[in-house]
This record gives sequence, structure tokens and C-alpha cells, in this order.
Amino acid sequence: MSEHGKDAAKASKTVEAESRAQGLGIGWTVFSYMIAGMIAYGAIGWLIGRVVHVSLLFPIGMLAGIAISTGYVIYHYGRPGSVERNDR
Amino acid sequence: MIGSVRAVAAVPLAETSGGCHLGNGCGFPAPGLQNFDFKPIFTVGSFDFTKPEFIAILCALGVIAFFGIAFRKPKRIPGVMQSLGEMAILQVRDQILRPSLGRRGDAYLPFLVSLFFYIFVCNLMELIPFFQFPSMSRIGFVWPLVFMVYFLYLYLGFKTQGGWGYFKNMIPSGVPWPILIILVPVEVLRFFVVQPFTLGVRLFANMFAGHLLLTIFMLATWYLMTWSYALLFSAGSALMVLFVFLLELLVDLLQAFIFTTLTATYIASSLDPAGH
Repeated sequence: MSEHGKDAAKASKTVEAESRAQGLGIGWTVFSYMIAGMIAYGAIGWLIGRVVHVSLLFPIGMLAGIAISTGYVIYHYGRPGSVERNDR
Repeated sequence: MIGSVRAVAAVPLAETSGGCHLGNGCGFPAPGLQNFDFKPIFTVGSFDFTKPEFIAILCALGVIAFFGIAFRKPKRIPGVMQSLGEMAILQVRDQILRPSLGRRGDAYLPFLVSLFFYIFVCNLMELIPFFQFPSMSRIGFVWPLVFMVYFLYLYLGFKTQGGWGYFKNMIPSGVPWPILIILVPVEVLRFFVVQPFTLGVRLFANMFAGHLLLTIFMLATWYLMTWSYALLFSAGSALMVLFVFLLELLVDLLQAFIFTTLTATYIASSLDPAGH
């Protein structure tokens, strides 16, 4: 392989490794958002539900948390070019 | 209760199944939590030294010895051990560190190399005869690694961005304040609790499930080994042992890779607030 070909292959491997690391990071961050939203608003719903004696607020809080997380993930990562902008 | 579990544990496979075969009248000795609990090798006061601890220490010594021998007398034209050591370090640098941190992250190379190889060797121990147990399938061995990573990226974040700046950068900019109030609990919980939790639980759960799968098929092979049609199923189970063995080889490497890559990503997010 020529020197130029070797450089091109090395550059392609670097890009591949970078996108793999980025994908892993974003994938697990998105997963963490989903879990965090569910726990945070589930807990808030549970607390309010205990005070007002409406136990249904706990599952409603969890669902609201998932909805908030989903919306935020779409806002943060879902738009075209957002991955490059939010590249960690 | 713990005593009775311990009494069952840490005995060879054939004894765990109690010489139990299909048709003997005894049921299948299903593996469970008892396979992760061991009789102490020795006891000092209330401290029990068990097989997983022995394996964890052995792995640490193995990794130290390997790199110690490889780079004891580094030469311009490297020998076999030095070449292997260099290849190992360069793989971690080019596949894990540089893609996340770039050249500025080279200072963290020793930490990431140690982390990767320690986890990898600990995981590999589930496939090596006599040891046959991955220390990381006991969550107590995972948390110290997670806490090391957690406190490192918190420290780096506070150091490079300052206390207030670190919290401020955690929250996305350009978002209207009513939405910010909604987002703050999610973001704080994700960053301080869920992120380190998933980092640890993923490694633990994969090793736990892998060890359990291997044990199930090993025991089933033994249990079904009778002079009857069950011998066919025993052969099938033995094939599954081979398949799971190869799968676990991949999982061992992959879990070490994911843990170290995410560590590099978290360090990068602490050093570079622009990512938030």
C-alpha cells in the first residue's frame, strides 16, 4: 500500500473509532435520561400523591418523567446536526 | 441462611449437582445465587477471604507483572514482551482514549490502560479452568472501580469549570426558564446517580448473567448424561457450553471496552463543558 493509502486507511480508522465512542456515549446518556426522568418525576408524583392521598400520581409522575426525557432527548440529539453540536 | 448457602457453594460442578442425573429421581440442580457465594479460604477476625477476592488480587498482580516485565528495560528495538505491551497500550490509546479525549487526554492513558486490562483479565477468569469465576459478577468488586471513575470526573469537572460553572454547564443553554425548572431534576439525577449506577450495573449484570448461563449449560450437560435418549440433549447442551464460552469471550472484551470508553467520555465531558 502506498504512503497516501496508509494515511487514508489510518484516518478512516480514526473516524470509525471516534464515531463508535460518540455513539456509545450518546446511547448510554439517552438511556440514563430515560431512567432519570422516570425516577425523578415518579418520586415527585409519589410524594405529592402521599400528601393528597392520590396514589395514581405515582405512575402518572413516572409517565410524565418518561415523556419529559423523551422530549428533551429529541430536542438535544434528534435534530439534524445536533450530534455534532452536542459532541462530547 | 447465609451459612447454609455457603455450605452449598464453592464445590466442584459434579458435587453441586450431587451426582444427580436424569432418572435418579432427583430434580435438576438449578444454579442460582448460591453459585456466587463461596466458602472462605481463610478468616481473619470477621473478615472472610474468598475465591473472588483471591481472583481479583491475582488479576491485579498479573496486570502489574505483565506491564512491569514488558517495560522493565525498554529498548529501541523491542523484544516480544515489550512489543506486546506497546501493542496493548496503543490499542487502548487509539481505540478508547484518543477518540473521546484527543491528544490532551494522554495524561489519563495509564489510568485507562490499567482499568481496561484489570477488568478484562478479571472477566476472562470465568473461562479459565480452576478459577471459573468472574470477580465482576459480584457487584462489590465493581463499585470501587465506579467510585474511582465517578470521583475523578467530578474532581476534574470542579477543577476545570469551577463549582458554579460545573452545575451551570450541566444545564443546556438557550432553553426557556419554565422548561429549565422541569429539566433540572432529570439532569441532576442523571448526572449524579443514574450515570455512575448504569456504568457499574451494566458490567456486573453482564458478568453475572454470563456466569449463570455457563453454569446452567454445564450442569445440564452433566445432568442429562445418561445412557438414554437424554444423551442427545446432553450433547446439545455441551454444544451450547461451547457457544456460550465463545460468546462470553466476546462479552468479556466488550464489557471492559465499554466501561473504559464511557470512562473516557465522562472525563472528556468534565474537561470540555462545550459538550453540554
